Amino acid sequence: METNMQLQAPAPGVGTDRRAVVDEVDLIPVRTYWQLVRQRFMQHRLAVIALVLLAVLVILAWTIPTLTGELYQKTSLDLIDQGPSLSAPLGYDHLGENTFVRLMRATQTSLTIGFAAVLIIVGIGVTLGSIAGYVGGLVDNLLMRLVDVVLSIPSFFFIVALVAFWGGGNVWVIIFAIGLAGWTTAARLVRAEFLRLREVDFVQAARALGASPRRIVLRHMLPMALAPILVAATLGIADSVVLEAALSFLGFGISPPEASLGNMLNNAQRYFYREPILMFYPGIMLILVVLCASFLGDGLRDALDPRQRIER
Amino acid sequence: MVTYLFRRLIQAIPILFGISLVAFAIINLAPGSPVDRFQTGRVSHQTIQNLIHLYGLDQPLPVQYVKWITTFVQFWRVDAWGFSFVDGLPVTQKIFARVPSTLELMGTALAVTILFAIPIGILAAVRQYSWADKIITTFATIGYAMPSFWLGLLLLFVFAVELNWFPLFGKYTFGQEGQPLNLIWHLVLPVSSLAIQQIAGWSRYMRSSMLEVMHQDYIRTARAKGLPNSGVIYRHALRNALIPIITLLGLTIPSLLAGAAITETIFSWPGLGYLLVSSVNTRDYPVVLALTMMGGFMVIAGNLLADVLYAVVDPRITY
Repeated sequence: METNMQLQAPAPGVGTDRRAVVDEVDLIPVRTYWQLVRQRFMQHRLAVIALVLLAVLVILAWTIPTLTGELYQKTSLDLIDQGPSLSAPLGYDHLGENTFVRLMRATQTSLTIGFAAVLIIVGIGVTLGSIAGYVGGLVDNLLMRLVDVVLSIPSFFFIVALVAFWGGGNVWVIIFAIGLAGWTTAARLVRAEFLRLREVDFVQAARALGASPRRIVLRHMLPMALAPILVAATLGIADSVVLEAALSFLGFGISPPEASLGNMLNNAQRYFYREPILMFYPGIMLILVVLCASFLGDGLRDALDPRQRIER
Repeated sequence: MVTYLFRRLIQAIPILFGISLVAFAIINLAPGSPVDRFQTGRVSHQTIQNLIHLYGLDQPLPVQYVKWITTFVQFWRVDAWGFSFVDGLPVTQKIFARVPSTLELMGTALAVTILFAIPIGILAAVRQYSWADKIITTFATIGYAMPSFWLGLLLLFVFAVELNWFPLFGKYTFGQEGQPLNLIWHLVLPVSSLAIQQIAGWSRYMRSSMLEVMHQDYIRTARAKGLPNSGVIYRHALRNALIPIITLLGLTIPSLLAGAAITETIFSWPGLGYLLVSSVNTRDYPVVLALTMMGGFMVIAGNLLADVLYAVVDPRITY
């Protein structure tokens, strides 16, 4: 893919003599695949905004809880329901907790779960998908039946049962539950891509040169299948964050005094006569994360694989 | 078609079997036990042992599994799905008492979704890049990003607490059970919280499907021969644009079921989702297992429905 996209000679019979063509080509700066990707991504304005916003959120969500330490779970009776101030831009809640610091800690927890769950989804999905697609035959058949089974269990039921019965409130259980329920789409994507790639010329060539299956899969096929995986992973972050919020909201996920966007919402619901505003912060944060991830995913899809672009 | 249906139904059996294995393993291999809530010191050791024996939890897991699955498939019997650990009622009875509530909620939400999403999608596609399109697309994007449980809370706060237009929870006002108007009044908020997100998703889908069709040659031909615009849109474009939407119908059913779990909990709607959440909380294994199996069955049925409808509306597709 490192070839210059512009370096295609015109079809014979166009009328230019060969020398002229070469001169013209020399004038065009050589751009690599990744330079083109960056250029196309930059043209997608919403995706760039989403990337910047997500970066700001990540920085805030990691610096503020680190700087303030345990402040996010510190309750103080004399600060209950106090309005906004410089040290607490969003005021204090009914327990005297600093809402802003708590919100940042919650964003950190939720994003951690989102990223980690996506790592598991991609890990399992790519491994099983590439094995199924490369090996084929009986292995493929068995793995795809497994995919069918997991896909047929309503994922929310699956996750709720896993999280509730296997140690509620444990971050790792939540991450694994979301990961174990979500890998099927990634596996199908990779498998489909591998089935196509298996017959492509450069893979055949690598095989003819005596490359080991390991090398063919890792060096030749996987990089080609990367684009759809990356897009699916970005979109998967949004799903995972919302799932965590739903779990914690129902009381199965992270429980106080730890903070997560879901349990902040759960808390807000209980106090919603007294302090309805508490409901908005975690909700807006959730919407922001979901919007950012989906715009970023759109931008990446357009940038990485312009052929997939849907006519809008 | 009949052969195809038959083959698909046969294929569903090993998948359901797989689901039963996975669900049973998740639930029964988990640390802890349903009798844990009695370990308070006030219940005697012998009583707890008796309970464990009554629930069959003292047998090896494979034996438990075989016993469970062999009675589970005899769904026509009242006791086939076992008895609830919480109140001793037959699980079938417990579940089927809840089915109507969930169907009312999901059915209304689905109907509202279709009623709104399709015209909105058509409008956005026909007037592509117009102000209407931009507003619709923006709202659809935000609506899709809005978690339905947050929207539910917001609706509760605005319309039930602040404005007091709609009830806070439940299906009927006490003493007015069975009255349709009272039911509709209670349905408004939960249905809106489920439907708004679905409308956002469906209208985006409808818009892109419609746009794809409008670029086809036969639409240009229809315009070229001088048909009025509405004829082109409704007679030629809409019919073809609806084909992919039909499949959404089958795929939406399971997602509505999951959405219902959260929405029903927020609005204390006495349906299957609410039952799932409360059964998980009390470790009522037989109920959770039966609900998971039912959920799996619904997913498979939904997929099959989507494929069959696809062939019904599109004569180019045959199985």
